[in-house]
Amino acid sequence: MDVEASDREFTIPVGPQHPALKEPASFLFKVDGEVVVDVEPRLGYNHRGIEKAMEARTYIQDLYLVERICGICSNAHQTLYAMNVEEVAGITIPPRAKYLRTFVHELERIHSHLLWVGVAAHEIGFDTLFYYVWRDREVVLDLLEEISGNRVNYAFNAIGGVRRDVPSEKIPKFQKALDVLAERTKYYHGIAASESTILERASGVGYCSKADMLRLCGVGPHARASGVAKDTRHDHPYLAYDEVPFNVITNDGGDVLANVLVRIGELYESVGICKYVLDHLPDGPIREKYSPLAKIPEGEATNMVEAQRGEDIHYILSKGDNKPYRYKIRAPTMANIPSLMVKLKGGYIADIPIVLAGIDPCFSCTDRMVFVDESKDKVWDMNDEELRRYGIRWYQNGNNK
Amino acid sequence: MATISDVVSLVVFPGALFIIVYALWCNWVSRKTVARLQNRRGPLHTGPHGILQPFADIVKLLAKEDITPAAADRPVFNLAPVLIFALPLAAIFLIPIQSITSLFSYAPIANFEGDLIVVLFLLSLVVLSVFLAGWSSCNLFGAVGATRVALATLAYEIPLVLLAIGPAILAGSLSIYNIVNWEARSITDFLAAPSVWGIAVAVVMLIGAAVYTLCLLAELELRPFDMAEAETEIVHGWQVEYSGKKLALLTLGRDVKIVLASALLTSLFLGGAAGPWPVPPIVWFVLKTTICVMVLSNLSAAFARFRIDQMVRWAWQYLAPLAVLQVMAMVALSGVI
Repeated sequence: MDVEASDREFTIPVGPQHPALKEPASFLFKVDGEVVVDVEPRLGYNHRGIEKAMEARTYIQDLYLVERICGICSNAHQTLYAMNVEEVAGITIPPRAKYLRTFVHELERIHSHLLWVGVAAHEIGFDTLFYYVWRDREVVLDLLEEISGNRVNYAFNAIGGVRRDVPSEKIPKFQKALDVLAERTKYYHGIAASESTILERASGVGYCSKADMLRLCGVGPHARASGVAKDTRHDHPYLAYDEVPFNVITNDGGDVLANVLVRIGELYESVGICKYVLDHLPDGPIREKYSPLAKIPEGEATNMVEAQRGEDIHYILSKGDNKPYRYKIRAPTMANIPSLMVKLKGGYIADIPIVLAGIDPCFSCTDRMVFVDESKDKVWDMNDEELRRYGIRWYQNGNNK
Repeated sequence: MATISDVVSLVVFPGALFIIVYALWCNWVSRKTVARLQNRRGPLHTGPHGILQPFADIVKLLAKEDITPAAADRPVFNLAPVLIFALPLAAIFLIPIQSITSLFSYAPIANFEGDLIVVLFLLSLVVLSVFLAGWSSCNLFGAVGATRVALATLAYEIPLVLLAIGPAILAGSLSIYNIVNWEARSITDFLAAPSVWGIAVAVVMLIGAAVYTLCLLAELELRPFDMAEAETEIVHGWQVEYSGKKLALLTLGRDVKIVLASALLTSLFLGGAAGPWPVPPIVWFVLKTTICVMVLSNLSAAFARFRIDQMVRWAWQYLAPLAVLQVMAMVALSGVI
């Protein structure tokens, strides 16, 4: 870098604590005036060792631990975990459970997308819209509370099915609430597509082309906003998605506005799916028998679901015990970080919050351990055997004193 | 006796004490208006309908620890909040509110030919102090906020001053008191003998008031022009390092500035403290400025925040030409009437 350029450039830290980030993550922005030249992301402030903790707990205990990976996609992670365990254990869940899981999965998507629209409005300084959206989000939270007893961590799944049934006399009430949501979504669609200050702040901001998005493997609404028609519900149908009609919403804009429009479009689709599920709810039991102490045969499984933020992948390895031998989680935010960097570069400082928020980041899902030696510029992983030996060596050398 | 009444009108009414209390009232009105527009309740707890909340906030801030960053430029950092509070307060003394010697007079504490220029000058000095406050804190976010303040000034300062000249041309005076007098007189004249030209003047004045309101939104750092303190972007920008007593002064200064802005708006375009007899001027002043505060709050709740470059472009595309047109219309009208 020549002297003149280095004089004008300076570094702005966003995070680990910053009002635009609801969770700790750090982004170092090299800026020239108001323009972002380079970004250096640094994750890992919120690593909680959940994968390791899961190995020490039984399958039933893990069901509630896995839900706590993320407050917003709690049900997506739990559903995925239950699917994985059921696949290894050879349990087929009853059709009614399949539909109920789909129902709660979509309700969670509605609540998450509404939350995101509110946060996005707040990031561009449109607090009035934020308050309106979050007021209407209460409708879906009340619905979830009525179904599961909880507003956020629903604990709706059980291994072999679901924990609670939806009584048929409540269905008309649910339908009515869904109608309210559809109507409000229409209103917000109108605002997002026509309000001039929103258009000024969102259109053309944080652009990522379709080619870049494909190259950097973005997932979820973030990728669909760049025109990549990738949706796990459609590509690898799970639960009841092969029976429920819905559209994959895409937008070729590639900017923040496209993100907003894709998510609002998905709100419509989710309401549609929920209504369809309620209309076609099969009769029968809601779960298969599964003993809390049961051991699960040896085997492994990998499944994925379309969480609100994109494709969520879990891997399970069972060695015939009542605890998983290895559990691996890849939450969607992790996959979206590389394409986020493309979106941030060349933008303005003022656009950082909204572009960051555009992927709906969830860093507590994302954080993981990587070994970095900064002096030697080396990055490596350790497998469990290496890690075990490293631990023994570390304690033998008396480092813990 | 004249000295005692001068002291009272400077310190108590309609001077410093009244202005500060009135500033807290305006803060409450603004918060309540925005809250109701955003489907919230606003302050509720302190006093009836939360009316004492702004006062409680100031008291709370006064009790908090006052930190000056080690890297900050101490004298400037300490001086800036005082200036930000004192300058708008001084400017309000020149605006006609209410005389304490006569119930139906609104002669200000001081008035002289050219006090409009002084008020506008003090208003610009406030912006300079804001810039210094951000810059002297030696914080990255503070520096970015300070440069944004300076850039925003380039955008709205010229239309703001140009628009103020319009009424001065028609009134034939650069004294705010005389402008208000002229406005009151021409309304009485118009009601006595309506004419087409009277309507034309009223229309031009109202358009001026509307454009002036937009400039004031920028001057007051209200949405959509609050990029200098944008919380989600640069963490309250220029005031990021302030705490305790200094932050209390900044908050109070901001409220006083809102009073000054709405007082200027009413005095220049809406007849100021003048109004039909037998209601005293102070009532008209409070009524008109409170309505102005509500309009400003209403506008600030209705938009998303602009980016600084968008704001500068927007101001030069729309505000500046409109201001020039307004002045030209005023000159033309002053030739006719």
